[in-house]
Amino acid sequence: MTNLSAVEGMIFNVQHYCIHDGPGIRTTVFMKGCPLRCLWCQNPESHSMCHQIFFTAEKCAGCGKCIPACPIGAIHIQDGKAVTNRNLCQSCGVCTTVCLHEARNMMGTRVSAGEVFNKIEQDKIFYEESGGGATLSGGEPLFQSEFAASVLSLCKKAGIHTALETSGYARWDILQLVLPYVDLLLFDLKHMDPSEHQKCTGVSNELIKDNVIRIYHQQKKPVIIRIPVIPGYNDSLENIEATAEFVACKLGASVPVNLLPFHRLGESKNERMGVQGLLFNSIPPSEQHLKELKEIFVSHGLTVQIGG
Amino acid sequence: MNERLTKLKDRLKVDKYPICLEKASLILDSYKQTEGLPTVLRRAMSTAHYLDHKSIFIEDGELLVGNVASLPMGMEAGSLGPTWPEEDLDDLKKGSLYISPEDETRLRAMDSYWLGQGRTLDERQGLYYDDDHLWPFIKSGILCPPWNRKEQGRGPGTAGVGWGLGIGLSLILPDYAKVINEGLNKVIGDARAELTNLRYTDTEAIKKADFLKATVIAFEAIVRIGKRFGDLASGMAREEKDSVRKNELQRIAETCYRVPGEPAGTFREAMQSFWFYWMMVASGTTPGGRFDQFMYPFYKKDREMGRINDHEVLELLECLRIKIMHFNFINGGKEQRDKWAGIARWHNFVIGGVTPDGADATNELSYLILEAALDCQTPHHTITVRVHDKTPEELMIKALEVVRTGIGMPAFISDNSYLDFLTSQGVSMVEARDYALAGCLDVNLPGKSRINAFGMFVVPRIFEITMNNGVEPKTGVQLGPKTGEFASFETFDDFMKAFKEQLCFFMSLTNEEHNILLQAQRDLYPDVVHSALMVDAIKVGKDALDRALPFENGSALNMVGMINVADSMAVVKKLVFEERKVSKKDLHAALAANWEGYEDIRRMCLAVPKFGNGDAFVDSIACELYRFWADTSNSFRSIYGATVKPTAISITAHAPGGSMTGATPDGRYAGDSLPDGSMSPSQGMDLNGPTGVIRSAVAVDQSSYQATLLNMKFHPTALQSTDDLRKLSGLIKTYFKNGGKHIQFNVVDQETLLKAQKNPERYRDLIVRVAGYSTYFTILNKAVQDEIIERAEHRSTV
Repeated sequence: MTNLSAVEGMIFNVQHYCIHDGPGIRTTVFMKGCPLRCLWCQNPESHSMCHQIFFTAEKCAGCGKCIPACPIGAIHIQDGKAVTNRNLCQSCGVCTTVCLHEARNMMGTRVSAGEVFNKIEQDKIFYEESGGGATLSGGEPLFQSEFAASVLSLCKKAGIHTALETSGYARWDILQLVLPYVDLLLFDLKHMDPSEHQKCTGVSNELIKDNVIRIYHQQKKPVIIRIPVIPGYNDSLENIEATAEFVACKLGASVPVNLLPFHRLGESKNERMGVQGLLFNSIPPSEQHLKELKEIFVSHGLTVQIGG
Repeated sequence: MNERLTKLKDRLKVDKYPICLEKASLILDSYKQTEGLPTVLRRAMSTAHYLDHKSIFIEDGELLVGNVASLPMGMEAGSLGPTWPEEDLDDLKKGSLYISPEDETRLRAMDSYWLGQGRTLDERQGLYYDDDHLWPFIKSGILCPPWNRKEQGRGPGTAGVGWGLGIGLSLILPDYAKVINEGLNKVIGDARAELTNLRYTDTEAIKKADFLKATVIAFEAIVRIGKRFGDLASGMAREEKDSVRKNELQRIAETCYRVPGEPAGTFREAMQSFWFYWMMVASGTTPGGRFDQFMYPFYKKDREMGRINDHEVLELLECLRIKIMHFNFINGGKEQRDKWAGIARWHNFVIGGVTPDGADATNELSYLILEAALDCQTPHHTITVRVHDKTPEELMIKALEVVRTGIGMPAFISDNSYLDFLTSQGVSMVEARDYALAGCLDVNLPGKSRINAFGMFVVPRIFEITMNNGVEPKTGVQLGPKTGEFASFETFDDFMKAFKEQLCFFMSLTNEEHNILLQAQRDLYPDVVHSALMVDAIKVGKDALDRALPFENGSALNMVGMINVADSMAVVKKLVFEERKVSKKDLHAALAANWEGYEDIRRMCLAVPKFGNGDAFVDSIACELYRFWADTSNSFRSIYGATVKPTAISITAHAPGGSMTGATPDGRYAGDSLPDGSMSPSQGMDLNGPTGVIRSAVAVDQSSYQATLLNMKFHPTALQSTDDLRKLSGLIKTYFKNGGKHIQFNVVDQETLLKAQKNPERYRDLIVRVAGYSTYFTILNKAVQDEIIERAEHRSTV
């Protein structure tokens, strides 16, 4: 038997006191790596499985301490800020250790499942009082399925409730590896139309739809459907109607739905990684619009809330 | 709020608070005629003289009557000492106070009575501040704020006092139930009966006679002023054209003819009786006790008999909130005022908790008191919720709905922790269950205890002194013992030992200072208004400041900034002694230079784990330091013979305390503020969210403290849905089940967000919600931050 604690994976954050990613007070582990490229992605630092330098220009004082630190000379001062030539940068992270202003941070840490579990377990007293637990998020946690299964399994052994936030884009045999240790799935449905889904996320949605039906009906796992509301992309009345019908007919009226309104956080993150975001233009939806969309779900007999 | 309350609330908005001289001059007139009489009698006579001649009025629409000062929104000048010096008064006039030139001259003329005759607390204290002993310490401001002259203390000048003369700086939680249930005529009757049986066989008996006579004099005057308000209301009713108001005035008259002399019969009478007595004890810090408990029998009876409905109860509770806003208070010199952040007041009303047999005590009034705060949105009175294992979730949610509005209340305290503390001090569980707070957090039993926790001991100053072999670095004065040069310490334990030796030395000086102050108060401020309602007061026949009380917590040692010391100790331990990455010489030089030229060292210091992240390395140091403070406090005795209690509340002393402290190894710059509570992390040092903060806080044994304080900052967006509130309630309950004592939430406004944008390093702990999830405000980019600020602006207009 493999030693679960020793299985390693790449994460980019462990956030405590998460109150919008499942029931109760939760600790959310953000894992790196994702097969999707959603245009609106709010965590672009999760796409790659590699380490990346995260640069916050506002904090950079332009002191230049990082310039001699960089072993390949990829940093120079431009307009008073230390700019990294991303084509040269090897993401070794030396510059992050000398920065005096916390402008340079390493995104991505290689950790063992045991280490992650220890961080989760620290907050056990809070889960017990509030009915919370651990959530794996990302990225796409199924992208590192063995690692995800190890972390979740350790949680289950310790009596900690587990949730998986997923795009659902994974082969069934991969899902089967992880599902036994999952108490709740926060399952994204981004678009009902396969070709639109392809355009918005880079992949088609057949596998996703099949998976959620099998998870809910065959595996009898509780599911919460989460729909990012991205004006101009997936918020047409027609698509929302189709989504509501899918949830109500193919899953069941008792499956809760969360509408997650678009916000702009992802944009700044692209900037900080020196990554050109994909061509994308949207604005946060109005409250009125959200209400309208909410009504569509209600008319299908679904329970829906705005926000996670 | 209904129309009446909207009008009453509108009248609170004044540009300037007038300073009134009525009380000060009436009291002084009386004092001048009673020179030579025992102090307790003189004070009772002057109180009676004031009450009998005080101008009284009833404002349009008021249901609770009893004007605070002689002018609406006025502040009566203090009558215990001289007023502010010229420049201080000018400063105040530029701010929120108004005084006419004639009155200023009159006020100034009164100073001569007070100055240089040993009649003030400061002058009494100064007598004992010898140059070779306490004076250098008092002058240093380690006990914040510093004194500049021996006879001038923390700065003279007070305005905004109630109808009584008070007991000085001590705090007492009166037994309001006794006032309301039994009426003050009972006290007068008991005192007379005791006097009749008294025989002058010893000194005690003669002093007892003074006390009892003073009680009769003062309490009869309190009953008389009730009747004066009755006459006034009845006269106004006769003149009143509007029939609704006429009826109200008639009812007010009937109420005032009855209370506070007789027992209250209805909820309305109980409210009025409370207000009259509350005005007699009101000062800047006057508790409201367990208001939902002692008022509940009246509420219940009236509701059962159909005499009142919840709308009317709510209206009266809101009238009380407005009435308390008439009571303003300003005190002391500039540094003292900074310490208290301007016009600070602590009128703490406690709700919830348990009954004497341990059952949940929450009742309909608990909810209505919260509803009144939610509806009225006034900053006073404040509210504290006693939370125990069976506190209804509904009460928690209601309380958090009030928190969400950003008015800074209620705070939450843990019955488990407070009851542990009280029972460990020998209080029986049944008595302990009736505790409430005086001040922000000081535990008291109604009529059975008093507290002094006024000294704000700035602990990081002692750290500096330890690093400099007992010398205060700023002045070069040898204030403490010579415990060794920093460079000479071989091990971390040696350094810690030296720090503890210094700390113990200065705590001992503080205890002496406290004892001097306690004795001065005992001599100067006997007060029957407070004392005659203490447990067995008439039988004992002694002033509250002149007797050991059943729960003797009369003296407490209060610290500020211990967390900076814990974080600094962690740095010294790790970088200097364990890893030897920074030399003692360099660290010393870096601090002396306020880090200038030593940025690399500062960065290393910042990277050492900080309290507030659930890190065992630094948390265990904090735990040790807090235990040391508690044990050392307990090793001292107050003039009442009891052990001195440890306490840890900063109020607002963290800012001026920090301004007097040089750079510290935790990475803090000279002059920067200290943490804003004893369990709060250093500003911006908690990077792992609220659960990390709480894990650190429960590493400290808080039950040995009479009070501790933890502040958390949230933006209202992180508290949007009831589900958000339920989770926050889960956080509070987890904290309390694991040893936490107190938590309060600072729900920040837009201005704070703007400040956080400018100085992110000071606001790293501020939590906001971005659409779907909560995160730290300062990690967001400017555009998103701006979006949240706009949203906050929008919200505040709703």
